Formats: sequence, structure tokens, C-alpha cells
Amino acid sequence: MKNLEIRDLHVCVEDKEILKGVDLSLKQGESHVLMGPNGNGKSTLLAAIMGDPRYTVTSGSIIFDDKDILKMPVNERSIAGIFLGMQYPQEINGVTNSDFLRAAMNVRRDRPVSLFQFIKEMEKTIDDLKMSPDLAHRFLNEGFSGGEKKRNEIVQMQMLKPSLAMLDEIDSGLDVDAIKIVADAINRIRQENNMSLLIVSHYDRFLELIKPEITHVLVNGRIVLTGGPDLYQKIDQQGYDWIYEQYNIEPEIEQEKKRPQLSIGSCAVRETLKGAETK
Amino acid sequence: MIINSTQSLSLDHNSHSYEINGDDIKLDLRIEESCNVFFRIVKVSSLEVKGLIPAETKVSLFFWNECEQEINACEDFVVEKDGDLSVGYGECNNASVNRKSILTLKGEGSKGRISTASLINCRKRYQIRVINDNVHTDATISNYAVVLKGGELMIDAVGQILNGAHKSTSHQTSRALSFEEGQKATILPELLIDENDVKASHAMSIGRVDEAQLYYMMSRGLDMPSCTKLISLGYLLPIAELIEDEQLKSAVQKQLENRINSLCMM
Repeated sequence: MKNLEIRDLHVCVEDKEILKGVDLSLKQGESHVLMGPNGNGKSTLLAAIMGDPRYTVTSGSIIFDDKDILKMPVNERSIAGIFLGMQYPQEINGVTNSDFLRAAMNVRRDRPVSLFQFIKEMEKTIDDLKMSPDLAHRFLNEGFSGGEKKRNEIVQMQMLKPSLAMLDEIDSGLDVDAIKIVADAINRIRQENNMSLLIVSHYDRFLELIKPEITHVLVNGRIVLTGGPDLYQKIDQQGYDWIYEQYNIEPEIEQEKKRPQLSIGSCAVRETLKGAETK
Repeated sequence: MIINSTQSLSLDHNSHSYEINGDDIKLDLRIEESCNVFFRIVKVSSLEVKGLIPAETKVSLFFWNECEQEINACEDFVVEKDGDLSVGYGECNNASVNRKSILTLKGEGSKGRISTASLINCRKRYQIRVINDNVHTDATISNYAVVLKGGELMIDAVGQILNGAHKSTSHQTSRALSFEEGQKATILPELLIDENDVKASHAMSIGRVDEAQLYYMMSRGLDMPSCTKLISLGYLLPIAELIEDEQLKSAVQKQLENRINSLCMM
């Protein structure tokens, strides 16, 4: 079983600790949503699982399919079945989508995919995602709109057939129709491949289409609350304040961002200095 | 046809393909009509090429370097009124090159382009100068290089607009890409402009592939050599589009791919 087990995960970026002891269990085929206010570590968690070199795991463990993936380089994690649909996919000039995807498919196969089979599969996927037929020949994400980039991530996911797909705000930048197209594709791939899902999203509309079974709330670098679909629905309606109150949580990000209220006539420098003195 | 000694080549309205295989060779291109010429350089130590592009002719020259020994090359082309010359150089061979190319846009309304694509794991030095010497002339220089381990690239690219060549343009782009530290690339883009009513620009970049791009590609399962190969192909393969003959184009693309495969997958 390709389960994901994260234990006491601590992750730093440039000496700043972002994740401060995350525990998370995800069984194969399950669908989880990771929620939380901005800047609390959701994207960091997904990036750390994928192996983004900008993030340093200082302690803890990530086990996927009984393997310690922290010992694996990024490409091996991908071949092991982990996929990250990125919030900001990179543009790569000169490399076409088809060359890139064919190379990515071949590294996980004993024998290279035939050109005929590849074209057939690529055309079907492009059609499923309602993308322009010239996608295959365009350079990777270059000149794509925000929505096209996100859909192209799902094209890649469908072609690579991962066991665990992590989707980082894949719904942002998508219009109403595109959200439905992407959600349908994700649900179809899940059914076909028993793919697990760990998604970050702020949009109830998207979550209602995906219907994740488990909701986690990540605040101050820790998962502070886990529940069912009712939890993301409640957050959509009421926000996060009730969680802070009920679980006695002091949100660090908001504290850091708190600035003195200024109005015309007040001295910004003096107010800022005053604020610094009181810290 | 094999060229193994100094000679004049009469070029009529056709596609021509030559293999250069000798020691010291001087070529005088006698261009009579618009034409496409492909030179496959197999062996030469010193190569001099000169040519006059007559008025209202369109000429494409492509030099594909397979030479296994050091080459000292010197090329001098002049384009007459409303003539159009495109010169392309493709190099992924494992031998040094010192090349000096001068293209003079002598006639009114003439156009000239010099394009290079190089996969470099040894020393390559290019001195390129395109001179706008009349009104309404258009000059373009574009250089793309991937510098691998042991590679050393030096490009001195000059766009020169002479006094009196008003309403002319001179644009150049030079880009060198590396994948590791310690590789040497120097690009000197120069614009020498002695006229007011002109348009000129230069763009230059030297650097390693963006870490975020590599991470993105690796997150889809590609290892470092595969990323190097794909990016290098994207950088260099477009040079083959300058070749008109489909068979020759396909052969050059294949060779470039094979060479990139063998060098990048090491």
C-alpha cells in the first residue's frame, strides 16, 4: 500500500523554521485537503514532501510506500509515484511539452513509450482538459495564461499517473468552467488509478467538486485540527477565528504582520519606532 | 561534392551541398543567383571564405562543423543592393575553433544575419562583425551556446553602423548556458554607431540554468543529465531551421541530438 506517513516534521527556509512538528497520515486512495491561513506552511509541507531544495528538513520523517523519501532525490520521489501540481509552474523556453512529457514517461518505464502510443495518449489528455491542440508543440508553460499553466499541471498528472498527487492551489487562476474541467479530470484519474490526493485549496466550490474525505488545518507550522468534510465547509463559512478561540491558538503570522494604524497627520516613522519599543 | 583545395565555386539558382576535406583551403563564392549552400566541414586547418552577394539575390549559407582538429576560419561577405544573406554555423564537434566573420551590408536595402549554435566542451572563439554601410540596411547577430565541462567560449560580437547608413537596424542576441560551476564563457556585445536615425539593440546572458526550472523538471522524474539534454536541445536545435534542404536539415538535427545525448548523458 502506497501510504504516506509524516512524523514530527520540522522544515526551515533560510534559517526560519516554517514547519514545527507536522504529523500526517494518508492511506492510499484517500483524499485530504490542507487548509489554513496564508503563510502558515501548507505549500512548504508539499514542497518538502516533493524535495524542493530551497527547504531544509531539520528533523522528522516522511515515509511513502514504506520508503524513507527524505533520502531520495527529487526525481526518484517522482518516479516513486509522488506528483506535485505547483502553485507557480515554471516556464521553460525551448523545451516542448511533448518532449518533456515523453522523457518524463520514459524514465518510469522499462521500455520507452512508442511515438504512436504517446501521441494518442497526449491528444486524449489535451482533449480531456479542453486545452488547445497545439499544446504538445508549445514550449513548456511559456506564454501560458495562469489558468493554462494550472491545467497543464493536470495534463502532466494524467500522463504520469502518480500514486499520490499533491495539488498546491491548483484551482487559483481557473475560471468557473475550468475548475469543473480540472475537478472532473482529477476525480477520473483518482478512480482509474486509486490515486491519493493531498490538496491545498481555499475554495469551497473546488472542494465540493473534489469532495475530500479528510480536512487538516495547519496553523503556525503545525496541524492543529483534523476533521471530515464538515470542517472545510465550516471554515468556508466562518473563517479561522473560531479555531483560534476554541483551541487557544495565537496566530503568529498575524502578529508579525500587525502594523500600527496610521492616518494622515500621524508620523509613520514615530509610530513604527513606538511599535518596535513595545515589542 | 568534396572540396579539398583552394577554388572558386560558381553558385546558381539551386541548393548546393559540399564537403570540405583538406588542409588549407580558400573558397571564392561566385554567386550568380539566389541559392542555398550547405558546407559540411570534415577536415581543414585553415579555411578562408569570401563571397559577394549580388543585388536582389537571397542567399543562405550553412556551415556544419564536424572537424576533429582545430580550425582557423576567416570569412568575409559583402551584400549588394537589396541582397539578403543568412549565414549559419552549427558546431558540436570536439575541436577548437577560431573564427573571424565579417559581413558588410554594402548596398542600399541589403540584409544580413549571422547565427551560431554551439555545444562546447573545448575552446571556441568567435569574432563576428556585421557592418551597415548603406541606408535601410538590416543586420542581425544571434549566438546560442551550451557550455559543458571543459568548455571555453569567447564571443566578440560587433554591430557597426557607419556614418550615412541612416534608417538602418543592427540587433544582436548572445546567450550562453551552463549547468555547472567552473565553465568559462565570455561574450562581448558591442554596438559601434556613427549615425543618428537608426535602431540598434543587444541582449546578452551568460549563466547557469535556473535552479527553480531544474527542480520543476526533476519533480517530473528527470535526472540532471536528462534535464541538461532537453534544455540543450531546445537551445541549439532551432539553428537547423536555417537549412532549406529537408534531408540535410534532418541529418543535422539527428547529429546534434546524438552529440547532445552523448555529451550530456555522460
